[in-house]
Amino acid sequence: MKKILALVLVAVMMLATFASCGESAATNYAANNTEYFIGGTGPLTGDASSYGISVQNGAKLAVEKINANGGLNGVNFKFDIKDDQATADKASSAYDQLFEAGMQISFGSVTSGSCEAFAAKAANDNLFFMTPSASAEICIAESNAFRVCFGDPDQGVLAAEELVANFQNIGAIYDESDTYSSGIFEAFDAKMKELNATYTVKTFNAENKLDFSTQVEALKDCDVIFLPIYYTEAGLIAKVAVAKGCDAVLFGCDGFDGIAGQIDETVTNQIKYITPFDVNSTDANVAEFVAAYETAYGVKPDQFAADGYDVVMAIYEAMKAAGVNDVTIDPDTLCEKVKAAITADSFVFTGVTGTMTWDLSGAATKEPVIIELNK
Amino acid sequence: MKNFKLKHFINYAIVSALLIFGVVMFLTGNLRPSTAQLFAQMGYGIILAVSLNLVVGFLGELSLGHAGFMCVGAYIGGLFAVVLKQSGLDMKLPVLIISMLVGGLFAALFGFIIGLPSLRLKGDYLAIVTLAFGEIVRNIFMNQKVFGGAKGLTTGTLIYDTRKSPTLFIVVFIVAILMLILVQNLVKSKHGRAITAIRDNEIAAKAMGINVTFYKLFVFVVAAFFAGCAGVIYAHTTTPVLYSFFSYNYSIEILVMVVLGGMGSITGSIISAVFITAMNFVLQSQLSGDLASLKNVVYAVILIIVVVFGNAPALKSFRERYNISAFFERFRKQDASKRRDDEAKWARVPSKIKMDALLSTDMAPDSDESIHGDIGADNDKGGNK
Amino acid sequence: MITLIDGLSLGSIYALIALGYTMVYGIAKMLNFAHGDVIMVGAYAIVITLSYTASPAVAIIAAVILCTILGVAIEKIAYKPLRGASPLAVLITAIGVSYFLQGIAQLVFGSQPRPVSAVWRQLPKIPLLNDLGITTAAAVTLVCGVIIMVALNLFIKCTKTGRAMLAVSEDRGAAVLMGINVNRIITVTFAIGSALAAFAGMFYLFQIPNAEPTLGAMPGITAFTAAVIGGIGSIPGAMVGGILLGVVEKLCLASPLSSYTVAIKFSLLIVILLVKPTGLLGKITREKV
Repeated sequence: MKKILALVLVAVMMLATFASCGESAATNYAANNTEYFIGGTGPLTGDASSYGISVQNGAKLAVEKINANGGLNGVNFKFDIKDDQATADKASSAYDQLFEAGMQISFGSVTSGSCEAFAAKAANDNLFFMTPSASAEICIAESNAFRVCFGDPDQGVLAAEELVANFQNIGAIYDESDTYSSGIFEAFDAKMKELNATYTVKTFNAENKLDFSTQVEALKDCDVIFLPIYYTEAGLIAKVAVAKGCDAVLFGCDGFDGIAGQIDETVTNQIKYITPFDVNSTDANVAEFVAAYETAYGVKPDQFAADGYDVVMAIYEAMKAAGVNDVTIDPDTLCEKVKAAITADSFVFTGVTGTMTWDLSGAATKEPVIIELNK
Repeated sequence: MKNFKLKHFINYAIVSALLIFGVVMFLTGNLRPSTAQLFAQMGYGIILAVSLNLVVGFLGELSLGHAGFMCVGAYIGGLFAVVLKQSGLDMKLPVLIISMLVGGLFAALFGFIIGLPSLRLKGDYLAIVTLAFGEIVRNIFMNQKVFGGAKGLTTGTLIYDTRKSPTLFIVVFIVAILMLILVQNLVKSKHGRAITAIRDNEIAAKAMGINVTFYKLFVFVVAAFFAGCAGVIYAHTTTPVLYSFFSYNYSIEILVMVVLGGMGSITGSIISAVFITAMNFVLQSQLSGDLASLKNVVYAVILIIVVVFGNAPALKSFRERYNISAFFERFRKQDASKRRDDEAKWARVPSKIKMDALLSTDMAPDSDESIHGDIGADNDKGGNK
Repeated sequence: MITLIDGLSLGSIYALIALGYTMVYGIAKMLNFAHGDVIMVGAYAIVITLSYTASPAVAIIAAVILCTILGVAIEKIAYKPLRGASPLAVLITAIGVSYFLQGIAQLVFGSQPRPVSAVWRQLPKIPLLNDLGITTAAAVTLVCGVIIMVALNLFIKCTKTGRAMLAVSEDRGAAVLMGINVNRIITVTFAIGSALAAFAGMFYLFQIPNAEPTLGAMPGITAFTAAVIGGIGSIPGAMVGGILLGVVEKLCLASPLSSYTVAIKFSLLIVILLVKPTGLLGKITREKV
């Protein structure tokens, strides 16, 4: 009996091994779609949840606007965002779920780490995605990946130029365990060396991102502290700076968006950050978006909401330019069409975060502004 | 045929059934990529749970650092596979198998290192040392530039395209079956009895001439090896391999699998690993936002209820009357006279000295039966030291 | 120097938490893994109360009362039925309770960190110390931590209940024979331990003005490590261990090895346990058949 069972077991393994050599054709999960499906992932809970929720709100607004105007050739758009808590493995499994639900085109992931995992999966399926805010270079390494935000290196270079021009004693704190933060910092560091400027740097990582007293202690006498980090930690640093009696200017990048909710009237340090989106802009397009957003959600939009809005709008414009008119189109075909349309010289997109164009690298070309948060 | 007992094969049967189910689904074109991913997760969940059960259930030492071994495997095996790929070996299957061996061996080495303090420490002290070990490993890998530093090891080139080929989960299940063959035979052998003897009473085991040092190290090394293999598999399913995944929360999740399945019961570990992985998968797709933490609350409540029910001294008589084996006993169609025979035989064995029954096969009426009892009994035995 | 003071103040937080672990271990012979999460509950209690009133005193009292009740409730519901069961079972239940508290906190408060209201951080300036670079928060934590520890020692040495606690930890069987109500003593121990956790949560908020569901995890494990380093079950041991770890952590963070802080902290534990398997001040118990 034992022998028989052993044989059965061996047979099963053999069968399995043969089966593993086979390859099956890709299924088009979008075959039953009645609306174009835009999907993606973002942190709806956890430390970075402000980003995910903003992107979700902005993108929803755009989808509603498109559908209200008759959609694409009369076909509406459907939008879904899954929570990835800014972790790679959750983004990866969320991708599978979305894909099987018929996702045809995507806004990728909101944060860089998740987007890397998302991009690895999307590359296999050749699914077009344009991320609103994942600024790491690895996220758009493949040809099917695009973004509307600045790249990390651009922000680092810009920050270095800005700081050297305006301040003497420069300090920096960054998160070495974060793709976004260290990406900006590396470019910043290179540019500072190029400019022959000196500065002091302190680091933290995901294991100790709560207690910043040592770092602030070391940078207490700086005129400015460069913080290429997310708003939660930036808020904590601002509070420690107050406790330590440090009055340096806190200079951040687009991750600072959302910091207003983390600080209160005790924080007296001046806060500045780079962002492509100015909520007080007089531009008609922006004003309309801000008004619509406020009516829908009761708060003013931040940069991530604007990015989310722009992504959906840009995807829509590109699909229109590509002449897509089949609602059950499979992601692979759609990707090739949209890619050709969006990288064409004639395609210029004017969104609420500026006027942008794309090339094959997937990066958007646009102008940044620096915002001051005066207390 | 005389010695045939379904329970000796039930473990293989469960895993093979999953494997066949997956393959059939694939061949008929019904296998969704996420299901293939789920199968792979179940596979390494089984490997992790069974290997931890060796330490917790059979050796009786609490280990809170199992994810640490997995971490070693994932990083070292993952890096090895990436390097192999870069050096031109572009065949997925050999790369997977070789890197799994490498990752497993390195994890085993770490298992040896962490096994050393276990010779001096026991119980709660050992538990905290294993926990500390898991955190140290994570922290060290996080700071190595070779492994991508704190941004994690990019294993994008290793990811299996689950849409086109089911290789990954097939390999995972085959590894699981091989592990089961090894572990089951180990547990049934004289070495297995020595290990359970150490759990039940270390001093008595020592007095019986069992080499406690050797067996403790041995169990840690074997368990670490398989955890390392599971880590390599993980590296083939996710990019980047990130240190934060292997936190002690994950070690505890594996522990939950073992406890729910019943400490010392391999079948239990397999079933609960499959069940928990599947439940994770379903809950993750159903619950979004902060509701997702409902999952943790549900686990916690299940864990508390199971442990309190299984161990509370006040519930002892209740437990004896309503455990799983008693439940199955009712359905078992057996010759009444034969049963009485069995019982009569067992009545001759003094129930007080369980230790001896474990060590000497002569005392028991049926050698296979005496060593292991059944799931329910093991469940009760698990916690005792 | 400033790092040292910061380290001492962090160390006194760890010591307070470690006291909770060590007292419960000494008396109930179990590792209360959920202790770290009681701190989290205490911190949330302060944050939430302060969003309704502006009085820190009310918030602190609310936190202490809530944590005490919570600690006793956990003991009654989860641990009491397991008295006499194997230590492994109790430990796993404690892990379950810890998960439960974290999950509930996330369900109720969300995973987004909640900043504590500004009232909490407007501490009075202490002229001399602030000039030296020592923050008021660090000074307050250090001084209060020492006061609480001294008070606890006095309580144990000089009151009847305290001495009963000592007796139970020494020999439970004999304590029962002497007419001590062991169940009551264990409940009191949990109440005191949890109240200490509430204080720890309060000091923690001085250092890190955000409350989040996983807030208790890392300080909890570190303090647990501290208790083991000091010799679990030993009250002076917990204080020594806590302060030692706090100082080591801050020194590491200030050194170039800052990214290895976690590894160094836990390696210290392993080294100490290998040299002295029962911790620095732990009692050596002889193994009996």
